[in-house]
Amino acid sequence: MTHEPFDTLAATYALGALDGDERAQFERHLAGGCDVCEETLRESAEALAALARAEPRAIPPPEVKDALLRRIAATTSPRLERPQPRRLVWAVATLAAMIVGAAFTGTFVASRYEGRLGQMAREAAALRARVQQDEAALREQIAVYQAAVDLLRDPTTRVVTLHGLGPSPEATGRVIWHPVSGGHVFVANLPAVPAGSAYELWTIGDGAPQPAGLFRVDASGRGTHRIAAVQGGKPVKVFAVTIEPEAGVPAPTGPMVLASK
Amino acid sequence: MATAGADLIRQMAAGDRQAFALFYDRHAPVVFPLILRIVRERADASDVLQEVFWEAWRDAEGYDPSRGSPEAWMITRARTRAIDRVRATRRRSQTFVAPLDEAMAAAPADPAGAAAEQAADRGTIRSALGRLPEAQREVIELAYYAGLTQTEIADRIKQPLGTVKTRIRLGLERLRDVVKTSP
Ligand SMILES: [Zn+2]
Repeated sequence: MTHEPFDTLAATYALGALDGDERAQFERHLAGGCDVCEETLRESAEALAALARAEPRAIPPPEVKDALLRRIAATTSPRLERPQPRRLVWAVATLAAMIVGAAFTGTFVASRYEGRLGQMAREAAALRARVQQDEAALREQIAVYQAAVDLLRDPTTRVVTLHGLGPSPEATGRVIWHPVSGGHVFVANLPAVPAGSAYELWTIGDGAPQPAGLFRVDASGRGTHRIAAVQGGKPVKVFAVTIEPEAGVPAPTGPMVLASK
Repeated sequence: MATAGADLIRQMAAGDRQAFALFYDRHAPVVFPLILRIVRERADASDVLQEVFWEAWRDAEGYDPSRGSPEAWMITRARTRAIDRVRATRRRSQTFVAPLDEAMAAAPADPAGAAAEQAADRGTIRSALGRLPEAQREVIELAYYAGLTQTEIADRIKQPLGTVKTRIRLGLERLRDVVKTSP
């Protein structure tokens, strides 16, 4: 069979007009690799582009560019305003009102109530402190997840799986990594480190491993850590976690507990 | 110029929004008239324009300079998306012939009063299409601007499929020659 029938198929394909079995046949031919057809498609696309250039000018509607830039900004940078954990805010506000009410009433009530009210106020104050602490932690947690979600909307973001090694084979982890913005590491099933030490994350490109921050895990073995972008945007090939002195070290010394492939 | 365009796409792939703004400014004025000619409605054309550039941002990493210029990359996308829109509209309205005739009738006349250099370029290309035998020009326009497949074109112009194929091949060969010989 000569190549000639494919010249016709290629031209029709370039115009988007090839249909039916012939389309499948041509796509198989192309997938098998054919420089002649590649060249025909390339030249046809350029010729058709020249036709498009010959259209009379029409000014694109300015709102399209604005909409695109907004859409892109929404996917590539963390949003400034984050959703508030509403129920918690409401709970804190109610609690605050209760405490103010308790203190206010307290000054007017007979002394025999004073002790009890004082105790109530102390309990309420302790509860408020705890809720505020929880709220701060929760907000922080939400901020981390929000940032990760923002990163995930970006097509250049990679998700890298970390596997447990040596001392903690059941440990797992994920790195959400953007070459320009940096990323986050999420780990699970890591045991608590001995006193005086911490987990240290490393990014490994072409040279020596670079320290990428220290983190700890909670009682359930989970932890998150924000990773700064690598200077100069150098590509990272491997992420790894080792156990190191809690002040951190410039090059890994301790056992490796997690690594990507 | 071509290299600079490919650089912009590479920067877009790395998340550079300023590169995207430049890329948009460079290509939207060429892409938009083509979309408008195919879909006809300005509101539809705006939607398609936004989708096409959004996809370019999203797929910038997949751009391969050895397969064609950034402009051809964008125009191929724009044409495909515009035809998708027309076909969807056609399916919805179930009117097949009327919008098609309208689209053909709306083929613009030769531009007048545009910048001299661009006009000269367009003149060459436009007359290239105009210089094709009517039968070849017709099948290329039905395929490229109206989105008909070869089988649909054969039905519509009441010619054997083989004739349609030959006209497409000869017409496109001629167009390629014109573009290759004009800078
Ligand atoms: Zn071939």
